[in-house]
This record gives sequence, structure tokens and C-alpha cells, in this order.
Amino acid sequence: MTAVPVRARREHAVPGCLFVAALLIPLLTDNLFLQDATILVLLWAGLASAWNIAGGFAGQVSLGHAAFFGLGAYTSTLLKLYLGVSPWLGMLCGGGLVVIASGFIAFAATRLRGPYFTLVTLAFAAVLQIVAARWYGFTRGNEGLSIPFEPGLANFMFTGKLAWTITILCYVVGVYAIGVWVARSRFGYQLAGMREDEDASEALGIDTRRLKVVAIALSAFLTALGGTFYAQYIGFVDPGYVLSIDLSIKFALMCIIGGLATPAGPILGAVLITALEIYLRAKWGGARSGLYLIVYGCLLILVVRVMPEGVLAGVPSLFKRWRGRAA
Amino acid sequence: MDVLPQLIASGIVLGGIYALVSVGLTLIFGVMRIVNFAHGEFLMLSMYLAIGLFTALGLDPYAGLLVAVPVSLAFGALVYFGVIRPVIGRPHVVQIFTTLGLSIVLQNTALLLWTGNFRQLRLPYGDDVYLVAGAAVTLPQLIAFSVAALFTATLFAWLRFTYLGKAMRATAQDRGAATLMGIDTDKVLLLAFAVGTLCVAVAGMLMAPLFSTYPTVGLQFVLIAFVVVVLGGLGSALGALVGGMIVGFLDVMGGFYVGTAWKEVLYFLVFIGVLLVRPAGLFGQRGAEHLGA
Repeated sequence: MTAVPVRARREHAVPGCLFVAALLIPLLTDNLFLQDATILVLLWAGLASAWNIAGGFAGQVSLGHAAFFGLGAYTSTLLKLYLGVSPWLGMLCGGGLVVIASGFIAFAATRLRGPYFTLVTLAFAAVLQIVAARWYGFTRGNEGLSIPFEPGLANFMFTGKLAWTITILCYVVGVYAIGVWVARSRFGYQLAGMREDEDASEALGIDTRRLKVVAIALSAFLTALGGTFYAQYIGFVDPGYVLSIDLSIKFALMCIIGGLATPAGPILGAVLITALEIYLRAKWGGARSGLYLIVYGCLLILVVRVMPEGVLAGVPSLFKRWRGRAA
Repeated sequence: MDVLPQLIASGIVLGGIYALVSVGLTLIFGVMRIVNFAHGEFLMLSMYLAIGLFTALGLDPYAGLLVAVPVSLAFGALVYFGVIRPVIGRPHVVQIFTTLGLSIVLQNTALLLWTGNFRQLRLPYGDDVYLVAGAAVTLPQLIAFSVAALFTATLFAWLRFTYLGKAMRATAQDRGAATLMGIDTDKVLLLAFAVGTLCVAVAGMLMAPLFSTYPTVGLQFVLIAFVVVVLGGLGSALGALVGGMIVGFLDVMGGFYVGTAWKEVLYFLVFIGVLLVRPAGLFGQRGAEHLGA
């Protein structure tokens, strides 16, 4: 047990570096593009970490988390636009609503496993997307909703990128801390047991139904908060993006690339994927659209095959194997 | 004019096409236990093949089937060896993201090669209309339904009566036991993937004159195929046929009575409902949803 602090320190290295770098960037450079990219990396890191609680730790692979994200974004935005409610309060309302909605997904999780569960989550988000797109009178359909620009702490709207960086940093650090707690708690060990062998855990007296409900609700709640952060930062919500399957895939993808069921994995994944997207788009996006996504897809196929445990654990183990062969 | 016969005829035609798209998906799932998220992209590629053959060689899609059959079998085998085989027996997440990655690659390859424009294959006889039992049906619809029915019937007979078909059903039931009985399951998996690809390729050729073709056309149909396959029972070919018909009818009836805007909600709700209440679907293997893999 004495080795724990050393391992713990190394474990926090990647997220720690990101958090410090993210805070320094708006202080050191005036480059708006870089500042904006940093904020988005932080936001994705938080959302991927939120997905990780259900998809990683609990092993309930969801491709419907955009539903929670979109519900969060829409709830705070609609409350603000129709009733003038502060988005901070709207965020909590969205989170509450999503916890109730997540009960449905949790119910599905207790009845279905593997691909069957994944398909239900996919359909759940698809239904919400269609409803948001068609219910024009309430959501303005595909035109989307714009949030008026009224800077102020009460309005959850800031003019400077530094203020945004700090706000979103709070969100990511919070979600990361919850991830670290889950990984070390009794709850986390129970989740690991369920993930590895559900029947055996049940035989040992673990209430897997309760575990699934709690893990999915927590994951959904944190995702909904991320939805409000996104809506406030971008200032615009439309069903074609915030409820899309592409977004659900993105959350899961960042987790898998970084490393499932580790607190630092999704953070690393978010940095890598966002950096890769920006790099490939800058290099090839203009020439012929689509080329960068081809490279992206190929890398995805390759990474999940070569290191299914993610880059965080996969690169060191590949390196070790390579060194072992050389020696 | 009474509208009901027309709705029924449209429902049957659409159902037949949906069934053919779904049979391939369910075959691949049933035998390999892999949900092929790139299935829609296979459909899209086949629709582009039909357009290419027609514009370059003047070959209509029905004669083009002679080209599509060997090409799709070869393509299916290529994808199987290159992408699918290495992830067989790996965790569910790895498999999902492998086929999702494949779908992203294929979709954007199409975007790169053929741009995002909508294309419509117009056959010279495409507007010939026949009256069948009081309903107007165009010639391409009629052919599409007939070929789909014939093809599905052949597939059923093949699965039922030939040695390979039996080996495939045995592998779907229990891969381990099938291996112990001396079935070369590795070959069966390859065959299942290739035949699944063939089904969707045939469907694509038949659909090219009926629907617009664009790089993301597959997504729309693959979602419907998931609904069909779940309704019929994942892994059941008969289920895909019946499910295809039901969803075809839901589509047409829902479009007429509920409005096109909401019909999609209708079949997604059916989909979720079936998965929660009876995950095995109408004809699926009971209890498979608890095994997960």
C-alpha cells in the first residue's frame, strides 16, 4: 500500500499538465484560436469523463449521451428565453430533469446487455432529436435557439476568454475529481466487478441493478451540466448538433482512445482527438472535405485494435514490449 | 379514389426493400454477434455503383446485379479479412468502434469521390405506372419488390436446406459447439459477412432508381434496418422479413395518418418498446439479450 502515493502522483500527471496549461494559455497568448481550442478541449475532457462513469467504469456502453447533453443545453436555454431564469439555476433544473430521464436508460440497462443496450441508447437520443427538430413552436426546430449576449456572472455569460477558461476548468476538475473518487471508492470496485463479470458479482451479493442506476444517473447528470456550459459558451443550441449521434460517438470515442475506466484516460483522449481534428482539418480540410475524416476513421480502427486499453496504458505497454524484444 | 389499396401496395413494396436491407444486417449479427454500423455505408456504395454503371456503361441496375453480386462478395470478404476478423472475440466496445470507424471512412470516401450532391438515377421506363388491384405502382417499384422477394426466398432456402446454410445456423446458435461438431466456423463467419454484404448490395441496386443517392443516405436506412431487425429478433432471417413488412407499413401508414414529420418517432418508439418488453423480438433467440455477446 505504500506504493499508492507514487502511483497516484503519476496518475494525475496528464490531467494536471492539461489544467495548468489551459490556465496559462489565455494569460500568455492573445491568439483567439488557441484560446478557443483550449476551452473546447476542457469542455470535451469534462464530457468524456462524464461518459466514462457509465461507459467506462460501469461498462454500460451508451451511444445516446447526446440526449443528456442536449436536454441539459435545451432546459437551461429554454428556461432563460421563456422565463428569464438564470442559466445557473437552469443548469440544475436540466440536471434534475436528466436524472429522471436517465432512469429510462438505467431501466434498459437492467434488462439488456451488450449491443442490445447500446441500440436502445441510440434510439433514445434519436427520438429526442426528432422531437426537438419537429416541435417548432417550442424549440424553433432546426433553426435552433440563440442565447442573447448579456455578459454577467448572473447570466452565465462572460466577455473574456480567461473567465470562460476558469469557469469550464471548474467543471472539468469537478468531473475529474468525481472520476478519481469513483476509481478508488468501494462503489468503483463494485463497478469493476460488475464490468468484469456481472453474474459473478451478483452471486457475491452485489446489487448490480442499484449500481447501474447510480452510475448512469451520475454520468447523465454531469453530461447535462456540460450541455449548459456548451450552450452558454457557444450561445446557440440546435438539434442537429446537440442531440446528434455524432456527438454521442464523440464522447465515447475520446474515452476509448484515452483509456476506459481510468480517471485520466478521457482527459488524454479529449486532448488527442481535439488536437488531431484541428491538425487534420487545417492540413486537409480546405483541399477536399472528407479527407481528414477518412484519416480519423482509419486511426480509430487501428487504435482500438492495437491498444484496446487506450493510449494511456497502451503506449507504455507497447514500449515495454518493444524494449523486451530488443533486449 | 380509395386511398387504402394504394397505401397497402406502397407498404408492401417498401416493406420488401426494408426486409432485404435488414436480412443482411441480421445475418451478420446472428452469426458473428457484431452490430455492423457500416451496413448503411455498404448500401450507399451499392447505390453509387448502380449510378456509375448506368451513366458510364448504360447498364440498368437490374442487369447491373450481375456485376454487383461478385463485386459485393469480394468487397465483403476484403472488409472481413482487413477489418472485422481481427476483432472477433474482442470486447463489445472494440467491435462497435471498429465498425463505426469503417462507417466514417466509407462515408467520407464517398464524399471525397462523388461530392455531397444528391443524385437521382432516372431510368427511361422509370415512370411507367401499372395498376395492381386498384393501386398505382411504378415499374422500378414492381421490379424491386419482385427481385427482393425472389432473393430473400432463395436465401431462406439456402439457409434451410444446404450444408453451408445449416452450418451457418449452427454457428449462430452456439459457435463453440459448432466448432466442436467439426464446422469450420472461421469460414462460416467469412461467408456470413460476405452474404450479408451481398444482401445489402442487391438492396442498394434495387433502391437506386427509387431514392436519391448521397454520401449519408446509408444512415437513414440503417436506422430503419435496426428497427426492423430488433422487431423481428436480432439474428432471425424470418424476423427480418416480417419486421421489414411491419415497418414498411408503419412507415406508409404513419406518413399518411400521423404525418411524415412524426412517423420516425413512431417507429423508434416501437423499437424501444420491443427491446424493453420483448428483447428477443418476434422470432429471435430468447435470452440472448442477457448474454449480450
